[in-house]
Amino acid sequence: MIDTLCDRSEGKDIAVVGLYCDFLAQQEQSTAGILGAILKQLASRDRIPEHIRGAFQRAKREFGGRGLRLPDLVEILKKTISSLQRVFICIDGLDESTPKHRRGLLESLREILHVSPSTRVFLTGRPHIDDEIVKCLSNAARIDVIPTQDDIKSYLVMRLDGDTEPSAVNDELRADIMRVILAEISEM
Amino acid sequence: MSSGHQHVSGIINSFNVNSHNTVNIITETDAEGRQILQWLSPLEPQQRHQDVRNDRLDGVGNWVLETTEFRKWSDSEDGCVEPVLFCHGNPGVGKTYLR
Repeated sequence: MIDTLCDRSEGKDIAVVGLYCDFLAQQEQSTAGILGAILKQLASRDRIPEHIRGAFQRAKREFGGRGLRLPDLVEILKKTISSLQRVFICIDGLDESTPKHRRGLLESLREILHVSPSTRVFLTGRPHIDDEIVKCLSNAARIDVIPTQDDIKSYLVMRLDGDTEPSAVNDELRADIMRVILAEISEM
Repeated sequence: MSSGHQHVSGIINSFNVNSHNTVNIITETDAEGRQILQWLSPLEPQQRHQDVRNDRLDGVGNWVLETTEFRKWSDSEDGCVEPVLFCHGNPGVGKTYLR
């Protein structure tokens, strides 16, 4: 998704930023951790905006460089995003973050959208977080991702071609694998 | 992209992928700039993004880009439409690898 949006944004003042949530990185990927990563991507597009530089210099004088607190981070993010023409925020695997961090993130996104309505948010995740998203961001469009037969065929061909022991699969077995899996899936 | 680029220490990347499908590496040259970006976040999501790009199978899941939901979400520039698009699905259906 990031690549599609980047390609389409070429030559325009549009920023595409994102993060992949990882079950194993739940600690770093707190609400503030995720928003910090997004702000960093926005800040590194061009010259670092003066309001970010100013916040850093102030933090440096206090207690030898304190980190940003979530409310301050959200404020800086809102200011940064509203100075840009358009921002796409993509967050993959939202179900891999903890419910608490997810809640904080969705609420922050809601605040950002309120200030910068041209912002677009792309989220992926398992269906069980649907309720949380709707509750927090009432205006969300949804797509149920179900691979098509062609998607599955391409994937099977790729996996069979990449088999590290090609001698173990002859043409007949290969044809069987394709036939049986595709038939099973079409019945699901 | 030359491999040497990736090994320059302290380099800061962002997701700017141009039409030649190479990732532009934006380097914040001044020392304070590097400190600021590190202060904002130690995370480097572009590394994971590069892995996803490399493993992605072209064409798979592209139907999502043709849906009315996606088009409305990405093309409209005002605040009237739904600004959030949620692609949901079970593990392994390819949500991460949507192009």
